[in-house]
Amino acid sequence: MELSDWELVRKCQSGEMSAFQELASRYHQKVFMVILGLLRNRDDAMEVAQETFLRAYRKIGGFQGGSSFYTWLYRIAVNLAIDAQRRQKRNPLDFRENMDDLLESQDEVARDPFAEVHDRELRENMIKAINDLTPEHKAVIVLRTIEGLSYKDIGEILGCSEGTVMSRLHYARKKLHDKLSSFL
Amino acid sequence: MNECERIEQSMERWLDGELGAAESEVVRSHVDSCANCGAVQQRLVKLERALGNVLAAAAPRIEFAPFWSELERRIDEKTPWHKDLRERIHGWFAVPRTAWAVPALIVLLIAVLSYDSYLPFWRSRNNSATVVSIDAYGRSVALLREDESKTTVIWLYQNQEGDDEAAEETPQPGPAF
Amino acid sequence: MKLLKKLPSRVLLFSWLTLAAAGILGAAEKQPQTVQISIGTILAGNQNDEFDAKLKGMEAQLKVLKYRSYRLLKNESQTVPWRGEKAFEIPGGRTLTITPQEFQDNRVSVKVRLTQGQKPLLDTTVKIPNKGNFILGGPPHEGGALVLSISAAAQ
Repeated sequence: MELSDWELVRKCQSGEMSAFQELASRYHQKVFMVILGLLRNRDDAMEVAQETFLRAYRKIGGFQGGSSFYTWLYRIAVNLAIDAQRRQKRNPLDFRENMDDLLESQDEVARDPFAEVHDRELRENMIKAINDLTPEHKAVIVLRTIEGLSYKDIGEILGCSEGTVMSRLHYARKKLHDKLSSFL
Repeated sequence: MNECERIEQSMERWLDGELGAAESEVVRSHVDSCANCGAVQQRLVKLERALGNVLAAAAPRIEFAPFWSELERRIDEKTPWHKDLRERIHGWFAVPRTAWAVPALIVLLIAVLSYDSYLPFWRSRNNSATVVSIDAYGRSVALLREDESKTTVIWLYQNQEGDDEAAEETPQPGPAF
Repeated sequence: MKLLKKLPSRVLLFSWLTLAAAGILGAAEKQPQTVQISIGTILAGNQNDEFDAKLKGMEAQLKVLKYRSYRLLKNESQTVPWRGEKAFEIPGGRTLTITPQEFQDNRVSVKVRLTQGQKPLLDTTVKIPNKGNFILGGPPHEGGALVLSISAAAQ
């Protein structure tokens, strides 16, 4: 029978490394996706994902279960990602290279070339528009869109109220729509 | 505010599943019957779908084995003492910004209570001198405190027998307070 | 209370430390070494309605005396050590001797003696707010009356 997150946490706190490995296997992909959504650079996202689990391992002794394990884990991930984002000094050339990497990584099925061009333009502009958001606005969009988290969970992760989550989402969506309306 | 404006304000929460059952039903039935609000809904759904496609599709699948192997290596690696210390100090200060309002308020209160050393206009407000003792050697003396200007006056009247040898003329009458 | 529960214990600790530090600093408040005594010698009269522009800052205080004219004769400042004495010459052969006594609760206690030659006219001890003043007046001079503004600033 599969153990719950909390049961695994308790085992970690007793020193069972295998319990932490199980938790890491459950969440490593999700954590990576959230961080990549914020950083838009694969190498940086991997580095931050590793750092997230390392921090979680070191701090798991102090986890009291006041929130769910995944919101606690995502909080570490998002804070590290936002810190990394603020340190990031990307020039337009680096950004362009990262964007091309990301676009090429998606499997392109051969189809209508006009649709292909349209989709590519939409993705390019979407990535650029997301990148233009502040770290806080980007975080709410990523957590809501990728993870489908509730306002309450997002608020817990970001350390803000549900009202703040709602207004940031509204602002971010409006900004994105204003920039992408011709493509949508 | 008209009905459409009200519904538009709740639209995102409805699409995000954050409305209760009753409120959701109100929004859904209005959207079904209103072309404008239906268009707003479509716009939001399109945006969300496009966002999801871009964000989710851009993330490659990462293999767990190499991820764990690297993580294990980092766990076993000893952290340099200065990095550990920096993380601890950062942890101490990583509290919600609003929580810093408490010590900030204390500092502000202390500064305000010490203002009288620094603000000239306040000095005049608190300029109330206190006469602790007085001896006019038999002469008449008046004490006055005027509240508005916080002025304390000690007025020494000239002795009737004219003991002020330096008086050059008949002295004028005293002040009219 | 919900608010207290939300406040991280660290912030409460910092708050208590801030308060304690403020208390200690307050208790160890450095006592001032000297006092700057300033004496403004003013001639008040009723012969005209002139008001010396140099006395603008004191206008509200001087108006209490209800004279028609005020003229600044002299303004003098001296630094005086605690319990030390300083004599100021006052027109009409008078002397004003100031002795700062103590500094407490941000107030300067000064002993003031007004003499004419060897004859004492007035002895008084006054507690003035630091950088504040009081008025001593009355001695006749040139058809009017002398008004002395006595102020003390602990340094």
